[in-house]
Amino acid sequence: MTNWLLGAFAFVGNRTVSGLQGMGRAWGLFLGATASIRNVDVWLPHLLPQMARVGVASVPIALFIATFTGIVMSLQASYTLTGAIPVYFVGTLVGKTMILELGPVLTALTLAGRVGANISAELGTMRVTEQVDALETLAYDPLAYLVVPRVFAAVFMFPIVVLLAIGIGIASGWFTALQLLDMSSPEFVKGLRLFFEPWDVWFAVIKSVSFGAVVTGVGCYFGLQTERGAEGVGRSATRTVVVASMLILCLDAFWATVLL
Amino acid sequence: MSIYLTEVRKAFGPKEVLKGFSMSIEDGETAAIVGPSGIGKSVLLKHVVGLLRPDAGSVVVDGVSVPELDRKGLHRLRRRIGYVFQFAALFDSMSIAENVGMGLRRIPGWDRRRIEDRVEDCLSLVELAGMGDRYPAELSGGQRKRAGLARAIAPEPKFLLYDEPTTGLDPVTTSAIDRLILRMRDELGVTGLVVTHDMTSAFRVADRITLLHDGRARFSGTPAEVKAASDPVLKGFVEGDPDLYYRDGWRREGMHAGGQDHGA
Amino acid sequence: MERRREALVGLVVMLGVAVGVVGTIWLQGGLRRDMRELRAASQNVGQLVAGAAVRFRGVSVGHVDAVNVAPDGEAVLVHLSVEPDLVLPADAAVLLAPESMFGDWQAEILSRADFELFSFLDYPEEGVLPAAALPDFSRLTATADQIARRLTTISERFEVAFTEETALNLKNAIDNIGAVSDGLSEIITQQAARFEDLSEGVNASAAELGAAARQARLSFERVDSIIANTQVEGMLGDAGATMSNLRELTESMNASLGDLRSAAQRADTTFARLDELLAAAESGDGSLGRLLGDPTLAEGATEAVQELRALLADIQENPRRYLSFSIF
Ligand SMILES: Nc1ncnc2c1ncn2[C@@H]1O[C@H](COP(=O)(O)OP(=O)(O)OP(=O)(O)O)[C@@H](O)[C@H]1O
Ligand SMILES: [Mg+2]
Repeated sequence: MTNWLLGAFAFVGNRTVSGLQGMGRAWGLFLGATASIRNVDVWLPHLLPQMARVGVASVPIALFIATFTGIVMSLQASYTLTGAIPVYFVGTLVGKTMILELGPVLTALTLAGRVGANISAELGTMRVTEQVDALETLAYDPLAYLVVPRVFAAVFMFPIVVLLAIGIGIASGWFTALQLLDMSSPEFVKGLRLFFEPWDVWFAVIKSVSFGAVVTGVGCYFGLQTERGAEGVGRSATRTVVVASMLILCLDAFWATVLL
Repeated sequence: MSIYLTEVRKAFGPKEVLKGFSMSIEDGETAAIVGPSGIGKSVLLKHVVGLLRPDAGSVVVDGVSVPELDRKGLHRLRRRIGYVFQFAALFDSMSIAENVGMGLRRIPGWDRRRIEDRVEDCLSLVELAGMGDRYPAELSGGQRKRAGLARAIAPEPKFLLYDEPTTGLDPVTTSAIDRLILRMRDELGVTGLVVTHDMTSAFRVADRITLLHDGRARFSGTPAEVKAASDPVLKGFVEGDPDLYYRDGWRREGMHAGGQDHGA
Repeated sequence: MERRREALVGLVVMLGVAVGVVGTIWLQGGLRRDMRELRAASQNVGQLVAGAAVRFRGVSVGHVDAVNVAPDGEAVLVHLSVEPDLVLPADAAVLLAPESMFGDWQAEILSRADFELFSFLDYPEEGVLPAAALPDFSRLTATADQIARRLTTISERFEVAFTEETALNLKNAIDNIGAVSDGLSEIITQQAARFEDLSEGVNASAAELGAAARQARLSFERVDSIIANTQVEGMLGDAGATMSNLRELTESMNASLGDLRSAAQRADTTFARLDELLAAAESGDGSLGRLLGDPTLAEGATEAVQELRALLADIQENPRRYLSFSIF
């Protein structure tokens, strides 16, 4: 009985300490990376390749998801809005949800898998094969060399990808409304414009910037933390996706309370 | 231009790897650290470049205490140190030439041409001339090891730390590498620290040989002294005789060759 | 290779930015031109919010920029942005009302002379247009409901004291209400016929109104005989029935009137009057008998009925004035 209790307390204590340790390390990484921004000559040459990897390569999957989201939103909106509610509200619903929520969040969740896991596995492999140590011995700051260009690339490219996704999502929703729902273009556009505010777009951009930082930051963190070979690399990638996804949703709620 | 290690202690969790290791390498000297696998040689070497921090004791390189250096100080020191990793640790997203050029790109005033020339020189030194366009995955283990060596020597460091530079190489290439290590010492005045368990190699390149045993320096002396020594552990290691090496009852974890059982 | 990658990144970035910028401008309805600023002052603004449409003769000519309480706290200032070349009538006023049953409010610029009925607020500052807000239908319904409930309560307590005189007064009042509801139902039937696009609901409510009116008429006839026979108890029951009929009537009236917003405006004040009156009757000094004996009750009711009647006459005379908004 007492043994059992002791075990429970020990478990909680252990988890608390390791949780705090993790937060401390993450904070350390953040401070270190921030300080490393000074070494412009180290990270700048890698910014463009990373932008291509993080941003350009993510465009197809993001657009694929946005297309189907738009179609489904359109169909479900028309199914939900029956009776008293005017049909042009399909446009409102598709536009608002794509811009405010689904565009940024679905894209970010997808990229948490695509970009976050990729970064984590790459840096994890570099860590366990001592390539990170090799960087250090060659007097390169690994944070400036590895972390900064990835985070910057994501911070810059996530909003771009999200804006494209929003555009495609609305377009596919529109197309669906015309083809499958017997709506007219003026109706759909009326609904789109009805509650539109430019601020919505800024909201989406701010969200995507933070999501980009979170996805790549978490990927770098777990990647550099990797221990114990191939298995460790896999574990880091998994953790990255889980933690980044959770953080994305928490941040989403945070921005919704703070900015709306 | 010297390396002093004093009473260095390092433990990973409950596992004590270094238990008060001391040794000194004077300017222009090349020393060898020998010892069986898993004894802590690589760990020791990483203390010298500050990749690991000792739990206790001091590591002084070129007059500065390494554990007390901040990032900037470490970088300044590391520009004077070349480190040959045991498993090469080549950047596998880059070609061999880019790998070798990595350290050179940090030197102010070096343009592309100069870097390319130097890279080509270093690659021929390790007999990899013309392989610069290949990627690490396309090389054999021995070739990778030599590329790692080329990367370490390229910026002409004042200190060179070799972690088993000849393990897994054929005898001819091994001699060539040994000759390269000697050239570094004689022509460039490099202070060298070679980790190896290849005694032939150690006798060839080292001014002094230290046996790492149970976390401490068990023996330290010139190759002649090593050959003449009567310490059973040293003798056992040099001659590759486990019965002798494990005679005092000391056992590495994971090894079940108990010396006492055999000796009794 | 390197150049191709640069070009690709550049292309994606430009595409993304273009989608963001062009999309935003397009969704906003084009670049906003330099708009003309107008201000209007109203007692209250109902549910009007910033961003609502501004209409003139049915055409959207701008939007509401901001809505805030005037510095003196006595009015609400509505800031409007309208097209710069808009020519306003000399006696321009602003009516704040829902665009449709669905609920979005808008600001309509109109000529005050055509809508004398509304109580536009004259704000003592140069350049501020007078404005008025229509009452909300929900408010109207709630008030009507309250009145009906009070009337029922009063009629339930009737037995405490009842003189022939009070009964007569009350009878007159109820008679009048009955007549009014009759008239109302007649008008609505007429309107329903005249405006084909008024929904079936109106017809149904018209029928209901007619039924209610007939029932009321029946009750009144009973009251007549009751008073003759002083059969107080039976009469009380009938009064109760009448009251609930009246309640139904107000409910269906509110439901069906829909776009007869001006009528609603008047009805609202009428009901408010009636409400006040009855509230006074109910709370008074506790002696219900004395209150019921007070002729002001009947007088007030009569007065209210007269107002209703005037309104109905007006609707009959100028149906377009009241029905011009119908936007079903
Ligand atoms: N980062 C680490 N975490 C935990 N234990 C470690 C770590 N690095 C080394 N060790 C342990 O320290 C001991 C010494 O390791 P080290 O790599 O120095 O051996 P070595 O002497 O270089 O062996 P080899 O000749 O095989 O390379 C080993 O038992 C190893 O398990
Ligand atoms: Mg080793």
